[in-house]
Amino acid sequence: MKNLLRSVREYHMNEQGVRHGLIQGVFMCFFILLLLAPAGCTKKAEEGGTTLHFVTWKPNIPEAWEEIYSIFRAEHPDIELVKEVGPHSSTAFHDLLTQKLKNRSEDVDVFLMDVIWPPEFAAAGWAAPLDDMFAPSERKEFLDGAILANSYNGRIYGVPLFIDSGILYYRTDLLEKYGFSPPRTWREMVEQAVKITSGEAGKGVEIYGFSGQFKQYEGLVCDMMEYILSNGGNIINPETGRSGIAGKHAVEAVRFVRDNIIGKIAPPGVLTYQEPESLDIFIQGKAVFHRNWPYAWEVSNNPKRSTVAGKVGIARLPHFPGGRSYSTLGGWQAGISSYSKNKEAAWTFVKFLTSERIQKLLALKAGRAPTRKKLYGDAEILRAYPHFSGMKDVFLTAYPRPRTPLYPAVSNVLQRYFSKAISDPSSDIEKEAVAASREIDRLLALTK
Amino acid sequence: MPEHAGSPFMNRVPFFATTFVVVFMSLLPFAWFLNTSLKTPIEVTAIPPVLVPSGTLHSYRSAITEYNLLHFVRNSLIVAGLTTFFTILISVFAGYALARLRLRYRGPIMGSLLLVSMFPQISIAGPVWRILHALGWLNSYQGLVLPYVTLTLPLGVWILAVFFRELPDELEDAARIDGCSHVQTLFRIMIPLAAPGVFTAAILVFIYAWNEFFFALLIMTQQKFQTLPVGIALFQGQYTLPWGEIAAASTVATVPLVLLVFLFQKRIVRGLSAGAVK
Amino acid sequence: MLSQNSAARHAEMKLSSLSRERIFALALIAPCFLFVVVFAFYPILYSFYLSLHRIILGIPSLGQPFTGLENYRDLLHDRIALHSLANTLLFVFISTFLEILFGLIIALVINRHFRGRGMVRAAILVPWAIPTVVSSQMWRFIFNDQYGLLNYILYGSDTSRYSAWLADPVYAFSAIVAADVWKTSSFAALLILAGLQVIPDELYEAARMDGAGAWQRFRRITLPLVKPAILVALLFRTMDAFRVFDLVFVMTQGGPADSTNVLQFYGYKKMFTEGLMGYGSTISVVVFLMALAVTLLYIRVMGKGMLKAENA
Repeated sequence: MKNLLRSVREYHMNEQGVRHGLIQGVFMCFFILLLLAPAGCTKKAEEGGTTLHFVTWKPNIPEAWEEIYSIFRAEHPDIELVKEVGPHSSTAFHDLLTQKLKNRSEDVDVFLMDVIWPPEFAAAGWAAPLDDMFAPSERKEFLDGAILANSYNGRIYGVPLFIDSGILYYRTDLLEKYGFSPPRTWREMVEQAVKITSGEAGKGVEIYGFSGQFKQYEGLVCDMMEYILSNGGNIINPETGRSGIAGKHAVEAVRFVRDNIIGKIAPPGVLTYQEPESLDIFIQGKAVFHRNWPYAWEVSNNPKRSTVAGKVGIARLPHFPGGRSYSTLGGWQAGISSYSKNKEAAWTFVKFLTSERIQKLLALKAGRAPTRKKLYGDAEILRAYPHFSGMKDVFLTAYPRPRTPLYPAVSNVLQRYFSKAISDPSSDIEKEAVAASREIDRLLALTK
Repeated sequence: MPEHAGSPFMNRVPFFATTFVVVFMSLLPFAWFLNTSLKTPIEVTAIPPVLVPSGTLHSYRSAITEYNLLHFVRNSLIVAGLTTFFTILISVFAGYALARLRLRYRGPIMGSLLLVSMFPQISIAGPVWRILHALGWLNSYQGLVLPYVTLTLPLGVWILAVFFRELPDELEDAARIDGCSHVQTLFRIMIPLAAPGVFTAAILVFIYAWNEFFFALLIMTQQKFQTLPVGIALFQGQYTLPWGEIAAASTVATVPLVLLVFLFQKRIVRGLSAGAVK
Repeated sequence: MLSQNSAARHAEMKLSSLSRERIFALALIAPCFLFVVVFAFYPILYSFYLSLHRIILGIPSLGQPFTGLENYRDLLHDRIALHSLANTLLFVFISTFLEILFGLIIALVINRHFRGRGMVRAAILVPWAIPTVVSSQMWRFIFNDQYGLLNYILYGSDTSRYSAWLADPVYAFSAIVAADVWKTSSFAALLILAGLQVIPDELYEAARMDGAGAWQRFRRITLPLVKPAILVALLFRTMDAFRVFDLVFVMTQGGPADSTNVLQFYGYKKMFTEGLMGYGSTISVVVFLMALAVTLLYIRVMGKGMLKAENA
């Protein structure tokens, strides 16, 4: 029998030969190395002083932020600032942050919140209330809409850092060529777009009328809200606290978008666009009008990236007859974790970040619109961004999205409804609106 | 070698045409992405697309410096490597037991392993998350390796069981006569003979763990620990959609696997079809 | 497994040797068993437990009240869930059918011996080896409406005719199917190939001598004998298609108009994005039960042969 065993063994060995043995050896060494690798990744022990963990996302202009960090470190040598950079996208960053907070993790003291998160973070007990540290007199220095977005049940949970709101971008050269001034109503914008695109087509130049964000994601809610609000409708009725999207004005606005914009003056592809793709169209000179956040100003005027640098104008978003212009409030705030062991140091940092000086730095170096009212009269800022003076009214009146701890769920319902309504030319908007309204009301009822 | 008589594609032309089309379609998307990764940022989003790239490594450099690509690669290597090691270890023992020993309830055990490999991940995602959360193992290598081992055990056990069963029946007898105990039989005879099966199973388990996305997305939320698939899915930000860097990262994620496939295609084919025939 | 001789030889020691062997076998299988119980079976039961409660992670002040089968009642009336179920089933049927079809064709092709067969097999395996996330990004790039390869191939430089594939609900769904079929046809091909390779040549020879043509040989010999392998491929592919997630997450995020919302994606959103863990668990349980039902059905169809190992 031993012979049998030996011959079987030899049979296998010969079949593979040396190469086999070698490869196996390599694999074993490889795995052993991998097992040892984590051993080298021990956490560095902290010695003395306070360590402050700041969770933020990857910035567009990292140099501005590096400067901010070095200023803070120089002025506060006793605080060791450790930053953790999360994913770019708001949704992914939200998931990262909430996992940490659900974990009561110690590696987050200060964090950035998207404008729609404070109610959620407040209700979940993740964001510490800042009423004691953030005095009402201080709050008055900031834009009202921004402060409102950070409030929940009468208390305040974040300090606004910079603000975003929807703006209409347009091609100054084309409007001038056809003798138009920036449109005041949506219908005017559509008419101008049609005249310009057909005129240009006649000369052999291909161009679309409009580009915006209409993919089924959070940005869709932002864009659609601007149409609905500017027609006198609302998403949540402020008086009843219930869903308002089945209301006549809201449905009308959605119908307008479906019938006049998607696939008409805007390419059907906008149904797949988030901010980057829609901006791409504009800076490649393929759109007359464009809806985006303030960051697009810097990009579209940058000759290295944009073919229309210097030919871009901004204006308030149009509205419907009888309504007024509304832009969705965006932007980011600084919050403090309820589980932080270093709340004083955290507040020092938050106060620093949102100070006049640093907001000005962010404005000048990163094009971020400040949240302090005073900065809109600042000479330096206005020189670099002359449009800020015109935009002050827009920013002052930017409107927040529904403030409820279940906003992610509500947003998902809205996203589905809007996407369904505008992507199908024969969609029954009323029926969809009523169904979505019912779902939203059910969700809101859960929070009571 | 003589042509397989059973093939209905007797004529050369349709056969080679089909082969060519199949190979072309299999490689085209990957080739296009590889192509894209060698373009400048402007060429990447050029309308209409540019067919011949400039051959610049800008995207790779950018992916490494701006997007932490090597970091993700390291995490993937660690997670996939650890998973393979533990899965193979457990699978060798379990596969041997199932294939060659008298074990009660062999049928139900194989069946439940099959079932585990069929689970939609969502069925266990929530509780697994809660278990790891309670243990404090979210965002840790072991937190991801444990579910991965569970998910790849059916694959590993199945392949090794098939492999063990192919060995001659008389081996245990011979060993018994020679005075070996069960343990000695296992370690001195069976395991050395299992080498080819181990190798095949290891490749397949490694590929699975390297490619997995769902649990990696849920369990690793800190960039420090995220694996390559998660990194590639989330490269996109609110303001940027860096196709060049995504293409570069994808190439880096794929090249090792493509190499594995080309070097070991025979084994992989054998391993995957082992489940089918038996 | 022991031959008759050996069994007879060891007749006296049978009892103790059998139980010793059994214990040894149990010890060997224990670690595997442990993993499966802790990380697979227990979570299933726990999911069921969670689904009987209302758990909203965003509002811990509401507690986690026991609500019985209320979540299940809500699920039945949830048109989005039903829609995602329909989407998933449609996806499973179409993609599995195409994958088996293409898999069969590919298997027939690479069953022949020719020079470079190894290279061809490797090339065909490349889609299978690529991470699904990567292939999703690849296809998303190809389907892009402005600079996508597909548009370029179809319309050349005539950019005005470029289509926004992922913007149309039907095309977006088809795009997901196409990407999945591309990725996994080779896997199906391998499983079918294994079945093809055990068909003895003599059968074909005999048929040819009887004057049977190529198509008849295929229909009468190949197809019936390769049926078991096809069924196995069908089982694996069906279960994988049921779990589709990566493609949807990267390519469309469920849109447009929810046309690519599938069960696993919907469950993920409910449980992890919206924090509705109770309701999300309900979806998990339902999905699991469906998967279980399908698996059991297949196993019965294919007969017990696949599971039962040879008796000791």
